[in-house]
Amino acid sequence: MKVSTARFRQTALAELANARTQKFLQILPLRLSARRQEAYGSFSDPEAAHRLGQAIRGEALARLPELLEQFERNAQANGAKVFWAADSRAANGYIADLARAKGVRYVTKGKSMITEELGLNEHLAGCGISAWETDLGEFIAQLLEKPPFHIVGPAINIPVEQIRDIFLAKGILDQPTTDPVALGKAARRFLRDKFRDLQMGITGVNIAVAETGTVVNVENEGNIRFNKSAPRTLVCVMSLEKVVPTLADALHLLRVLCRSATGQAAGAYISLDSGPRKNGENDGPEEMHIVILDNGRSAIYANRHTREALRCIRCGACLNACPVYGKVGGYPYGWAYSGPMGQVLTPALRGLADAGDLIRACTLCHRCKSICPAGIDHPGLLLHYRYKDVQADPLLAGRGADPKERLAHRLFALAGSRYAYWRLFSRTLRLAGRFFTRGEMLHGLGPLGRGWFQSRDLPALPKKSFHERWPEIAAKHDHRL
Amino acid sequence: MSSASLFIPCIVDLVLPGIGESTAAIVRHLGLTPRYHQAQTCCGLMAFNSGFRDEARRLARHFIEVFEADEVIVSPSGSCVNMVKNRYPELFADEPAWQRRALALAPRVFELSQFIVDHLGVTDLGATRQAAVAYHESCSTLNGLGVSAQPRALLAAVRGTTLVPFKGADVCCGFGGTFSNSFPEISTALVSQKVGFFLESGADLLVMCDPGCLLNIQGYLHRHHPGKQALHLADYLAGALPAGTGRRP
Repeated sequence: MKVSTARFRQTALAELANARTQKFLQILPLRLSARRQEAYGSFSDPEAAHRLGQAIRGEALARLPELLEQFERNAQANGAKVFWAADSRAANGYIADLARAKGVRYVTKGKSMITEELGLNEHLAGCGISAWETDLGEFIAQLLEKPPFHIVGPAINIPVEQIRDIFLAKGILDQPTTDPVALGKAARRFLRDKFRDLQMGITGVNIAVAETGTVVNVENEGNIRFNKSAPRTLVCVMSLEKVVPTLADALHLLRVLCRSATGQAAGAYISLDSGPRKNGENDGPEEMHIVILDNGRSAIYANRHTREALRCIRCGACLNACPVYGKVGGYPYGWAYSGPMGQVLTPALRGLADAGDLIRACTLCHRCKSICPAGIDHPGLLLHYRYKDVQADPLLAGRGADPKERLAHRLFALAGSRYAYWRLFSRTLRLAGRFFTRGEMLHGLGPLGRGWFQSRDLPALPKKSFHERWPEIAAKHDHRL
Repeated sequence: MSSASLFIPCIVDLVLPGIGESTAAIVRHLGLTPRYHQAQTCCGLMAFNSGFRDEARRLARHFIEVFEADEVIVSPSGSCVNMVKNRYPELFADEPAWQRRALALAPRVFELSQFIVDHLGVTDLGATRQAAVAYHESCSTLNGLGVSAQPRALLAAVRGTTLVPFKGADVCCGFGGTFSNSFPEISTALVSQKVGFFLESGADLLVMCDPGCLLNIQGYLHRHHPGKQALHLADYLAGALPAGTGRRP
């Protein structure tokens, strides 16, 4: 998929002006947040369940190298083939080679953010192999060539007329209709046809279990289960942080994941796959390939700050809690991961070069942190990224500070380092402010604060600062100075 | 404890000094002598949030030097208190001597309502004010310090004051420091939403514990809904104290 993180600001402006986006943002995040809240209530001790999930992610990361090796051994013992992909090139190459070797003309896919990260669909298309998304929302987003609007509802904002038109154009629909049920049935017929002759299915992975070599997926449409069970060859692509120690850990993570994502106690379909079809079994793929993707994660892992981003289990609860996402939706984030999840993952995986606005488009309200079932401190990470950006950090490809901004902060810090300077600063500021004061208010400050004054005034700077008032206050009440 | 040291944030010092006076008046009303170090400047929050940590450290060292001998330090700003209590230790992660000084200082720094309710154990200031009030949960105050019940208790104890239900009370007002200037359209969408909920609530006043949110919300109200008012908790309470002890803003 095309990465448009650098255009965060422009896309956000367009989305703020998009009535349809605004309408959906008034519904979806609030409803999902409310459902999450309600679903957490079904835990006997919600806070303990929340913290246990966070602790599982913490242990998984602390023991990551060892757990990955254990997972590989057990997956291989189950008969799966494991491929370690250093980057998207290696992963895409492996999957395309496999498809070619099997003489596959098309593949189907379960919704997975990791293959969005890889740009797998585009790569396969370049090799003459079609890739069909089989999650309904993702299918529509794919046809329209749009990034996901929301991780749980990738195309929830798309008007039904637009779906009708694209279905007609792509031959999925014969007669025009805007009946959602008829549209859903048309997509279902089209995709069932793809499943019937399926040679190769590709899915992501929600959780990998080290002790059993099992791959776990959760969904609500049954399409992932089709992808995993219908083809001769199954490819599961996982980012390397997905592994947890035990099956019990995986089950608990599922409990918090489903509640956090959709407010369900459990998704409609939970598939646990340990290897391909075994001798004497009737169902399942003949071959199971597990691609374990690094794509820069080892470097992220090596740093104690950025490592925290790898806790993420992609539930999307942070999107629903985020005030900024709630105004601009998923498109401005410009990649597979949107909302606070995208703000912590994208800079870690792709560096800061295009992420200047992405890491600053946050009010540091901390709501994401307070609901994150994986225990990520999003605002803390964003503050870290801002620091590294200003420092021109080589690991994260920070861009360095804007010289004017740096000068302003240096001068302010100098002013604040001694009372005499502060007094001078305070007086200078007041003199400058007087020039712009109209009555009791400031409606602008010339070239400064243009953004602020677009919609807000400021009180006129008072004749005396608190510093200057204090001696009078103290004298009046006979305080010691 | 016979006195309390006032930590007056730079925004209050330079732009909204009345909040500082109200804070001093409340401290005095509680039987304590307010003390004020003239050497204080800024805690470094803005520099820290913008990624300029060298500059933030310079300000933070000055802050620590000014305040570290004090027994209790009170501030009318949730975000500045959160900076000192919860961010300084991280800011000095590579300077153990300064980190120790920051950690030694942290437990003695209080947000105003936290100081009154948790530290002094007082909720009823003996104040009277006829008003229907909505309370805005400033993000740093709520999510950084866990302070929410304290200001509500103080408001509820004011005779004649009713706290009205306020939809979206804990949703960010869109201030976010430099965010409000760097992303004006998103920030405006958020403050406009906050103000919409305030108008819907039917409250006379919108009260909060952070001068940053106040500048944002009051600045928007002044431009778009003149006559509607947002107030800092310190101003609301000081204005409601019995005659002679407080000051009406």
